[in-house]
Amino acid sequence: MRAEKRRDPGQRLTMVVCLFYFSAFLLLFLRDFVWQGLALAFAVPFTIFLSNRLLPKLFPADGLLLALAHFLCALGILVLYDTNPAYAYSQTVSYGVSVAAMFFCVWAVRIVRSRRIPVFFLAVLSLGLLAAPLVFGREIYGAKNWIFVGSVSVQPSEVVKLSLLVVLAYCMARRRFWSWFLFALGCLGLLMLQKDLGTALLYYSVGMLMFFASDGSVWILAAGTLGGAGAAVMGFRMFAHVKRRVAIWRNPWANYDGAGYQLVQGLMAIASGDLFGVGLGLGSPRTIPVYHTDFIYAVICEQFGMIFGLCVLAIYVALVWRGATIAMAARHSFHGLLALGATLMLGLQTFVIIGGVLKLIPLTGVTLPFISYGGSSLVSSMCLIGLIQGVASLNEDDLMEDTEIALGREEMSM
Amino acid sequence: MKQQRLRYKLLALFVFCLFALLAVYGCYSILTYGNRWFASSRNPRVRAQKEQVAAGDILDRDGLLLATTDASGTRHYAEDEAVRRAMVHLLGDSEGQVSNGVEAFQTNYLYGFDDSLLDLAGGLVSGSPRTGNTVRLTVSAPLCAELAAAFDAHAGSAGKRGAAVVLNWKTGAVEALTSRPSFDPEAITAAIKGDPGQPFWNRATQAVIPPGSTFKVVAAAAALEQLSGIEEVSFTCTTDVLDFGDHVIADYGGGSHGTVRLREAFIQSCNKMFANVAVNVGWRGMLRTAERFGFNDNFLFRDLVVENSSYPTSAPSSYELAACGFGQSGIAATPLHLCMIAAGVANGGVMMEPRLLQEVTSASGRRKLSFSSSPYRTCMPASVAGKLQEYMRAVVTQGTGRQAAVSGLKVCGKTGTADSTLDGNPVTYGWFIGYLDEEDLPYAICVLVEDLDSGVSGGSAAAPIAADAFRWLRDHRTPEGGTAAP
Repeated sequence: MRAEKRRDPGQRLTMVVCLFYFSAFLLLFLRDFVWQGLALAFAVPFTIFLSNRLLPKLFPADGLLLALAHFLCALGILVLYDTNPAYAYSQTVSYGVSVAAMFFCVWAVRIVRSRRIPVFFLAVLSLGLLAAPLVFGREIYGAKNWIFVGSVSVQPSEVVKLSLLVVLAYCMARRRFWSWFLFALGCLGLLMLQKDLGTALLYYSVGMLMFFASDGSVWILAAGTLGGAGAAVMGFRMFAHVKRRVAIWRNPWANYDGAGYQLVQGLMAIASGDLFGVGLGLGSPRTIPVYHTDFIYAVICEQFGMIFGLCVLAIYVALVWRGATIAMAARHSFHGLLALGATLMLGLQTFVIIGGVLKLIPLTGVTLPFISYGGSSLVSSMCLIGLIQGVASLNEDDLMEDTEIALGREEMSM
Repeated sequence: MKQQRLRYKLLALFVFCLFALLAVYGCYSILTYGNRWFASSRNPRVRAQKEQVAAGDILDRDGLLLATTDASGTRHYAEDEAVRRAMVHLLGDSEGQVSNGVEAFQTNYLYGFDDSLLDLAGGLVSGSPRTGNTVRLTVSAPLCAELAAAFDAHAGSAGKRGAAVVLNWKTGAVEALTSRPSFDPEAITAAIKGDPGQPFWNRATQAVIPPGSTFKVVAAAAALEQLSGIEEVSFTCTTDVLDFGDHVIADYGGGSHGTVRLREAFIQSCNKMFANVAVNVGWRGMLRTAERFGFNDNFLFRDLVVENSSYPTSAPSSYELAACGFGQSGIAATPLHLCMIAAGVANGGVMMEPRLLQEVTSASGRRKLSFSSSPYRTCMPASVAGKLQEYMRAVVTQGTGRQAAVSGLKVCGKTGTADSTLDGNPVTYGWFIGYLDEEDLPYAICVLVEDLDSGVSGGSAAAPIAADAFRWLRDHRTPEGGTAAP
């Protein structure tokens, strides 16, 4: 009965996405003749196909949202395979892990419905995780935000994103202002100590917007914006590296061999792609420093062109639209805020990094969700999708229940 | 909950707006700056393409070969050494020493980056190595050589640094451009690279220099437009200097012009009168007119990279404002921009965008781009331009620009002599900007001679070079705009 009622646009889209990646990887395989290329040509579409078939069987999930997220993940693997196959292989493994993690998140959101969430425990754990790199970590690119467990490196701020959303949504839904406020303040403080300003900015804006959504006070929103702007000005005055970032943003060409190098190379890559791109496998994307993480959007624009770059933006917009729709359909404030927070997190992070690459705003080192190389980032992005999917499946359950109750009443009255 | 849902929608809309901003900004920057970023000499993609594709030919307006690639892949320039030297700044060199020449700025065409799949397939079929597109310019090679020769032919400018630009004032086409000192692109030596005279620097488009009295064209336009009845106001110019406390304003050579009105002051280039004009127009009025003439604008011309000209934007002291009347105190412009100003007067107040590309054709002969002219901006009303045309004509018939006169042609112009400092040493710049008031010969010119000897002015050093160029145009240009055989 459900199959008749819901015509899922995600299914057909999935087929198109699978075909796209199959042909793209096949093309790259024909260039290099490395067996891994051929393996990817089958493995990536197969993963997409399988998870899109499997998830709706387990939970009543949103197929379109899932298809879009898969498209972006696979785009990342494709571009990484073209620029540096070794990255693509490890990204593929992360992809598999992240799909499993997403399933777990969907399940977790469904199960906690009947139980109380140990928010206090989550909060303490998050703060501990954020403090860990300060104690154990090494400095990479001027920020101390990684921890190393054996050969695996993890970025705690990516993991904490999830618990932050849960704690914030839980406390805001129950109007426990000070609990979440102090927790968020602690997170921001630790991020500042790590010098991870991009993530701090992200946490701050998501927290503020979520509070606005729950409370509706325009004054607090205005005060928060002013406070954020004030903190930005303070940071500019106090920290030399912030000042340098802003100077590079104002004119990267003034120091194209030094500080402005990566931004200039990124802009030249985008300009070389022009509207239609130089083509998959062509161009010289590897001349951009950190082409695999921060600047991966420039690589996409070079190879596929600005028009495709705009399409990628449109996919993120569609993702945000689905997320917001699911948040609006939620029955409980907690679920609504959770889905909205996850959506805002993905949307704002995308804006911050693409804006930085396009020189619209100063560059901050955050990853492009789903696409950038990096296990932590990919897993946390897919987990965010998992949270949204979890809420979507609960909405669907509620809807079903309503229908059954209504049907039951009809039967009774008959 | 219902309220909350509304706020969710608001926040989603907010994120949509951010993404729309990204999309609009991304498209805007690619469309406006894309070619500049791409053509940057720092772009490693261009270097890679150079190994696979032979650069296309560059021709002058009449089809004379200016640059070509031989079978071994080496780049060669025009046969005549005088032409090579006169045009090297405009064209650039194969080593990339000159920045933003045609060789660098038009890599998109010359190396066939814009080739479509059709072109690529055609190349595969014919089997010959890929060649880029042929680029035909609007410039006339013999006129460039003539300008360079004119610098050496006159005592006031021989051996001096400088630059000259000729534009078609109706279309904006760059007819000639040369910069000095120069060098031969076929023989770049270490001595040239170490030359303190910076021979690689294209002074015509990159040197921003105080325009001196040539700026009186802009000041007079401001006065005629904003001060009604200014033409009737008379001023008595004596040998006394105008005293501003720490600075004084004097006229060239300490002379005086007696009782003058705006027209005579313009013709005789009276600094004191124009200092008064600037003070009366006020700094906001002066700034407004200067910006309409293109000062402080970010020049993003399609075919040329031109350094931006500047006019002070903060409120100046009374001396500085007065000095703005005759183009000193922080005003600076390139020779190309000053040539555009002269062309704007000639064209009734409408400045055309300078254009350099006449035609681009693919190796197989398919035309990809042909010349089109586009107005840059209207800098003054036609009535003001009409009065300035009459003033500039009088400068050449009876004023400071008499040495630019050529028999049989209506030459109009304005001279300038600007003082500045270069590396701490005082230096004098001689200017002449002007144009031909002839329907068949719509040409404007700007000549710059740097580091004048004492006693030499723009009128005696730069104007004769302009006269030589006009004479050449009179003798070689047919009424249809073609070039007659020498």
